[in-house]
Amino acid sequence: MRRHLTLLVLAFLASEASAQVSFKKDIAPVLLNNCLACHGPKKAEGAYRIDTYERAIAPGESATAAFLAKMVDGSEGFRRLTSGDVKERMPLDGDPLPAETIALIKKWIEEGAAFDGPDPKAPLASYIPPPTHPAAPPAYAATMPITAVTFANDGTQLYVGGYHEVTVWNPVDGALIRRIANVGQRTFALALSPDGTLLAVGCGTPGRLGEVRIFNAATGELQKVLGTTSDVVFDCAFSPQGDKIAVAAADGSIRVFQVADGKDVLNITSHSDWVFAIAWNADASKLASASRDKTAKVFDAKTGELLITYSGHQQAVRGVLFHPDNAEVYSSGSDNKIHRWKIADAAKTSELAFGGEVYKLTSAGEFFLTSSAEQKVRQFKAKEQAAVREYPGAKDWVLSAAFNLPTKRIAGGTFDGEVKVWNADDGKDVVTILAAPGLKK
Amino acid sequence: MKRQILLALTALTCGFALLCPTLRAEEALEPVNVGTPTKIEVFPAAFKLQGPRRKMQLVVTGIYADGQVQDLTRAAQFASSDAAIVSVDNTVAHPHKDGNAEITITVGGQTTKSTVEVSAQATPQAVSFEYDMLAALSKQGCNAGACHGSPSGKGGFRLSLRAFDSTVDKLTLIREDLGRRTNVLSPDESLLLAKPLMKVPHGGGMKLKKGDAAYTVMRDWIAQGCKQDADGSPKCVKIEVYPPTGRLLKRPAHTQQICVLAHFADGTIRDVTELACYSSSDTEIADVNVGGLVVGHNRGEAAIVVRYMEFIESCFLTFVKDIPNYAWTNPPSNNYIDDLVHAKLKQLQYLPSGTCSDEEFLRRVHADVIGILPTVEETQKFLADAAPDKRAKLINSLLDRPEYAKFWALKWGDLLKMTSTQIGGEGVYKYHRWLQHSFETNMPYDQFARELLGAQGSTLENAAANFYRTATDTNDAVESISQVFLGSRLQCAKCHNHPFERWTQDNYYGMAAFFTRVQRKKSLRPDEFFIYSAKAGEVTQPRTGKQMKPWLPLKGDVDPPADADRRNTFTGWLTQKENPFFGKIEANRIWSHLFGRGIVEPNDDFRESNPPANAALLDALSKDFAEHGFDRKHVMRTILNSRTYQADFRPNDFNKDDVKYCSHYQPRLMSAEQLLDAICAVTALPEQFAGLPAGTKATQIPAPDLVKHEFLKIFGQPERQTVCQCERTTDSNLGMAIQFFNGPLIYNKLRDQNNRFRKLLAANKPDNEIITELYLSAVCRKPTEKELQASLSHIAAKGDKIIALEDICWAILNTNEFLFQH
Repeated sequence: MRRHLTLLVLAFLASEASAQVSFKKDIAPVLLNNCLACHGPKKAEGAYRIDTYERAIAPGESATAAFLAKMVDGSEGFRRLTSGDVKERMPLDGDPLPAETIALIKKWIEEGAAFDGPDPKAPLASYIPPPTHPAAPPAYAATMPITAVTFANDGTQLYVGGYHEVTVWNPVDGALIRRIANVGQRTFALALSPDGTLLAVGCGTPGRLGEVRIFNAATGELQKVLGTTSDVVFDCAFSPQGDKIAVAAADGSIRVFQVADGKDVLNITSHSDWVFAIAWNADASKLASASRDKTAKVFDAKTGELLITYSGHQQAVRGVLFHPDNAEVYSSGSDNKIHRWKIADAAKTSELAFGGEVYKLTSAGEFFLTSSAEQKVRQFKAKEQAAVREYPGAKDWVLSAAFNLPTKRIAGGTFDGEVKVWNADDGKDVVTILAAPGLKK
Repeated sequence: MKRQILLALTALTCGFALLCPTLRAEEALEPVNVGTPTKIEVFPAAFKLQGPRRKMQLVVTGIYADGQVQDLTRAAQFASSDAAIVSVDNTVAHPHKDGNAEITITVGGQTTKSTVEVSAQATPQAVSFEYDMLAALSKQGCNAGACHGSPSGKGGFRLSLRAFDSTVDKLTLIREDLGRRTNVLSPDESLLLAKPLMKVPHGGGMKLKKGDAAYTVMRDWIAQGCKQDADGSPKCVKIEVYPPTGRLLKRPAHTQQICVLAHFADGTIRDVTELACYSSSDTEIADVNVGGLVVGHNRGEAAIVVRYMEFIESCFLTFVKDIPNYAWTNPPSNNYIDDLVHAKLKQLQYLPSGTCSDEEFLRRVHADVIGILPTVEETQKFLADAAPDKRAKLINSLLDRPEYAKFWALKWGDLLKMTSTQIGGEGVYKYHRWLQHSFETNMPYDQFARELLGAQGSTLENAAANFYRTATDTNDAVESISQVFLGSRLQCAKCHNHPFERWTQDNYYGMAAFFTRVQRKKSLRPDEFFIYSAKAGEVTQPRTGKQMKPWLPLKGDVDPPADADRRNTFTGWLTQKENPFFGKIEANRIWSHLFGRGIVEPNDDFRESNPPANAALLDALSKDFAEHGFDRKHVMRTILNSRTYQADFRPNDFNKDDVKYCSHYQPRLMSAEQLLDAICAVTALPEQFAGLPAGTKATQIPAPDLVKHEFLKIFGQPERQTVCQCERTTDSNLGMAIQFFNGPLIYNKLRDQNNRFRKLLAANKPDNEIITELYLSAVCRKPTEKELQASLSHIAAKGDKIIALEDICWAILNTNEFLFQH
């Protein structure tokens, strides 16, 4: 990130030396990447925070403001960034900022330390320009846990979350078709729009960044970046009508965006911990969520109003989906169970026991799939809650699963970096893909 | 007079408060004053570096003509015979290429050599999950109890406390939360590094720097693919710490580099100096840094506790320095106690104070042995006695008085949690009577322990069996027995390996196996239980699910006879003469009751990190105790007859900063019960405790909940909820000051028509006689001329004699001399 920024700065200096420094584009990313750990909402050393513009320019415990328009010498923040005393110089105990960055900050102050973002009270993370992510390694040195898989609607391609990329495979012969670049470090969710044209990638860097990147599924061209936040996005789901996308993130939020214009239409902060999974009901009137705060919840998808909270797992809840009758919810979790419960009163109506943690629940037509630490995918009929078939053979936890109805293929991604494809008719293996391009085993 | 009172009150509220240790700034190290050693030695003199990750901390010791030693590591020059094979950087040897080489060490005109065998350099060496990675997390404190080692973790990240459960940690670090914490493809991006480096917000703040040894370990472990150790990897079996414990460093020598070697089951040895954790038992004496360099600050002793995974060793260091104008005066010794105390004082260059006056001795020994002050008549008789052995005679007579048994039953009543709430009114009287009887008959301590811990039958017929009523279950029994009889606070080990001691969770449940069969069955009689041992019953270790065999410290698993009461196997081991805990703990406890401070303090907290102030003395005392058939009176008599016990409380210029080596007697506030009895004695107005026989003194109450007495509560009478000595508070507080200033107890006694001075006045005694008697009753001495004149002039000034006498008595009760055992 920092290297990227430096490059950006260098490019800037070379070509547009006379242009105004932008707070949004140039300064906010520097503050976020270098200062947030000690001067943010979690920890505000010296009573100073940089998470919004308003706070970043204000004084902390010092008498003088951090950044004062046109007063480089009077700006305490600039003094601390450039101090010769290592006990004073920021970042404390770290390397000083590069000279180019300091020059940029100086210029920004001289030009008036102005704000060019949407709202001086808004978190910087919400409006800094989306970064261009580093390229994926040409050849992987190790596997990544396969935390997301999904099929193209026609079943001819299989999208798999990689390292700073989404890899696309032939689900029959296991050949690598192409690699979609400029993706967050890890991908935790892959969703195709109902018409199959858009691929939403829920991704991020643990502890630093989360976002949903929407690509043209056919060309791999980046269309939009939505829901940028300070920790990873764990799940994203298109509404059945395809006009909206719901995003669940490690910041505890659930957000809904309009797909067409990227407009933020709902922000639900009901969960007190990571939200692992999000699901729409058939008419898009309700949303269900699963969280590490040990609850699953159902919300009104229009207003965001909390309709019910289910606390029966008493462990982290990892997966969620609506029962087809719309009156009940299935939720799965670290208690190694799937619970089925009523939306009306959160009363549990039944449960299914597993031999390990149950991760996300994947809905597909009249079926749903489970991915779990028992090293297999299981298929159920959603309405009857009836076991259909098991798909064994994985050598590690199965973290993600996908079902393509037209081709009747099921895929499972494992902790040890493999994607297994099975035939849904007979449960037989189709192919096993080591989804780490170039890895020598 | 008023000023005297004020001073007394100030002393009461803050006189003996602990001084806060001042924070020591990161001081620059003094350079080593090498001098002229006659010889130098290097540790290790020969070693192997098997693999590219291995290194070796070298420690160089200079030996001087006068027999002193000094750590010269920091000053030494290191030269390798082949720098391509091994090189030395900053006193640490690093391997490069297979082969043999020699390191030549030169300092102070002396030379020595260490031979090195370097091997396995061509192949990469795996970072061990357990012995590198988890050790690194422990080193940085990640898995400490206040951080991710807490039972619920922190911020959703939970580690086992100080890595006691590597299985859980393996799962957490490698796999939990979708492998979120580590990044094999780009190790530096790993959350596990970014958080403690504060590249990403971290609630715990900056806990890691790139220069730390732990950083390299953590980073490399991730880069190698976050691998767990291969099955069958050799386990660490012990750690070895250099220098050997007991080294004495005399200034200018005052620093010591430590080297820690881990020995593995396959015979390999590796240096873990940089991953071991260090702490000092007394940071006023010496500090130790993360690299194992000890820096002495003051004269005295410190145990440097070294911990690496579950292994704990301590290195005991003594720091001495020449004190200007100090000269040992060869004070006489009454017995071996004085010999050993003097040896320690001489070594540390303290000078003992002289002995106390007869008046002070009389008061001191009464309060310590029988809990109450001597009567005016006893005082006059003793002071008038010219016999040279009158102190020894007094000691013998006090040990034979019935109050002795009653007073020591109070002390043990605290430890055995005697309350009527717990075992009923009848139960507590009978239990207390059994305890008192054991002191009356001077029951040998081994027999005492066997009768108590092996007790069975009806708790009313065999009152000792109440032990298993106050210890309500197996865990309670294990924790109580280990604290009272083994001097170890074992509670921590119930849920995890003890973080600061050798005790593991297995040990806890292994000990529990001795007591798990004890049954407690209620009978139809009130307060009666039947205590017996069932024929079967085992203990399961909750973490491993393993059934535990009975286990004894320093002995290991044992097999008690199948049909016998397992407790007898335990008490048989416990009460052996050779048992290193049993006699020592009790001898130390007796010492602590007589001096207000144990040789090991707190007296029920024996551990590596809490060494004795005088180990030789404690050893000699416990040996004497065992050799005299665990005769407690013998130990007390020996201590009471020593000059050390009879020392003056007034310090001299050469011992005023000593609080633990017994150079002078340390005054202490009398206990709640002693004070109440003393006030009653001075005013000649005994307290009546409802429900107890007339004449019962506060120091003789069987249980605190039989008598609710506000004064006793305020002065720290324990409720006896735990077996901890610490439950009896000794800190002074404002409530105490208020009690003496204008509390109802003192007020009523001063106004009582039948108190000592009113009766004397009624008998027409002259003022000076009355004043003298008040002084004799309160502080066992006559008033000085100045005190007498001040009192007489107060009477004259006041006009009303009786009010003036109330004032004088009140003032005497508020003096330090009265309040403190001195």
